[in-house]
Amino acid sequence: MSKLLIDVGSTYVKVCQKSGISQYFRDFKKDIYDDLVTKCGDIFSKYAKEDIFICSSANGGLSTLIIGLTNSFSLKFAQNIAFNSGINIIDTVLYSKIEESKYPAELVDVVIVVGGIDGIGNVFDKRLLDYLQNIRYSNIVYVGTSQDAGFLSMHIPALKVLGNIITPKLHINEGELKEYLTNLYQADIVGKEDIKHLYALTANQIYSTPYVVNRSLSQIDANFDVVNPFIVIDIGGATTDIHYSHDLVRDNIVSESGYDRLVFKKLGVYKSRETLIFAAKNNEFVYELLAYLHVTENILEEESEKALRILMQLSIFLVLYKVSRLNPQYVTLHLELLETIVLTGGITKVLVFEEVEAIIGFFYKKVMNIHSIPNIVMDFDYAIWTIGMEDNEPKEQKCL
Amino acid sequence: MMKVVTGVVGNDIHVVANRLIDISLQARGFEVFNLGVNTSLEEFIDAAVETDADILLISSLNGEAEGWCRDLQFLRSEYALKDVTFVIGGNLAVGEAKQSDLAPKYKSYGFDLVFHQVDLNTGLDEIERYMSERS
Ligand code: B12
Repeated sequence: MSKLLIDVGSTYVKVCQKSGISQYFRDFKKDIYDDLVTKCGDIFSKYAKEDIFICSSANGGLSTLIIGLTNSFSLKFAQNIAFNSGINIIDTVLYSKIEESKYPAELVDVVIVVGGIDGIGNVFDKRLLDYLQNIRYSNIVYVGTSQDAGFLSMHIPALKVLGNIITPKLHINEGELKEYLTNLYQADIVGKEDIKHLYALTANQIYSTPYVVNRSLSQIDANFDVVNPFIVIDIGGATTDIHYSHDLVRDNIVSESGYDRLVFKKLGVYKSRETLIFAAKNNEFVYELLAYLHVTENILEEESEKALRILMQLSIFLVLYKVSRLNPQYVTLHLELLETIVLTGGITKVLVFEEVEAIIGFFYKKVMNIHSIPNIVMDFDYAIWTIGMEDNEPKEQKCL
Repeated sequence: MMKVVTGVVGNDIHVVANRLIDISLQARGFEVFNLGVNTSLEEFIDAAVETDADILLISSLNGEAEGWCRDLQFLRSEYALKDVTFVIGGNLAVGEAKQSDLAPKYKSYGFDLVFHQVDLNTGLDEIERYMSERS
């Protein structure tokens, strides 16, 4: 029986049938449901609701503020888990400095509080409560020493208490927090009002696109010419995602094996173009890079096909740069071990192989000082997304 | 049970003493948090904070210890550290140097006990004596 797969992105919608994939630009004057029905109503009418599968990456991303006892353990571990769950960290607060710390202006989706191994108590006190009075948040989760859980639960309404992310041996324990954050993220994306309307079209659960892509990673080598370790870079309209295998992180953090994902919220080529340009202009390599691509800085202000291609090349460069050793604040991937880079998302519809190869070549030469580059695979027809979607189908119950 | 955070500081990869220290401390009934080689001073302090440790026992074998010592006072003041006893041992200078010259210097940096090329068991005996006198 044939299926209809739909991916609702921030910039365009992809529709995949047996006959092939088509894509439509989003009309932002309409809500997603109306937009979809206007454009693809006749396609929908050919499928039963059970055979329609939808995932969404529109407006994805939750924000977190992390309050932790030390930089090297509490904050580092929590940041790592948040990154790996696809959550954007808007700020971190070192507990000893909490009285001088500024309050985030925006509404925070989830506050994470962490500190101390189990067995020690009185880590947190009134200073935490005072700080929390001054910020706005939707969720708050405590993952520090179990001794303080009682005190904090008594004073912080709706506090979610999970297992300590710091083990008695000072190692990281990702499990519960990662699951909690991943579920929040998932619930957020499919709980958005306009996404909810899409349940009128499908009888299946709507997933977030990154979740779908992540699911397909274990099967990628069966479908592509991919050698481990690899990364998948998904450059979209509003965000850029990078999925990577754990082999690439040689942190002193000990964690489960598998794949993880980082999201760069404002590194998209359409909706977050300004931030992308800003990031590019602040990069130490940018002028050399533009010269290498035979263009000048002015191209960044242009609205042309050529400018779009350059921006896409820049975003590949910036993403690799962000996870390289030159940017130690972020998760560092051992890019020198990388065998394959897979590109997916809108970028594969714009750039040709040689353009991708050129930019990756520049990155490896300039930043890594390596003259050979990993094998590049371009997922031209969203096969990764299709694998992930098809794989989803029968297992989960609709739980919303 | 007293808690000890230990490890080898800085860009130092001499690991043998570190393993011995871990085992010896456990045998003497301490709870040990071993950060291993290549540990920054900040990580040491942070580990003491997270575990509420009683002792911070730093090893340095390659002779570079003095270089980062100026950060100790600063980092110590960053957190309201409880009464942590700061101990350092190993090869605390490049080339020849005397314990009697080095000890006052390292104490002025904020260490309570200093063991330059002192045998491990002698040093640990001394630490135990110091701790029981303190309490
Ligand atoms: C093996 C060794 C190496 C191996 C290390 C392998 C490994 N992963 O452990 C390798 C070859 C990699 C190496 C490299 C280097 N090494 Co080396 N190395 C040694 C060697 C030969 C033995 C060290 C050892 O394991 N000893 C056995 C353990 C059990 O003894 P220990 O380390 O001395 O520790 C005892 C005491 O110091 C004490 N102790 C240690 N910490 C503490 C703490 C407290 C509180 C107390 C009470 C006691 C205590 O207890 C231990 C047991 O009694 C020594 C020379 C020597 N014979 O000691 C040089 C030596 C330590 N290395 C030295 C140097 C200079 C280097 C290099 C810089 C060489 C170079 N130019 O590349 C590099 C540094 C690399 C780095 N980034 O750290 C010098 C240090 C000089 C100094 N401090 O003045 C030494 C002393 C050699 C020398 N005489 O010049 N080294």
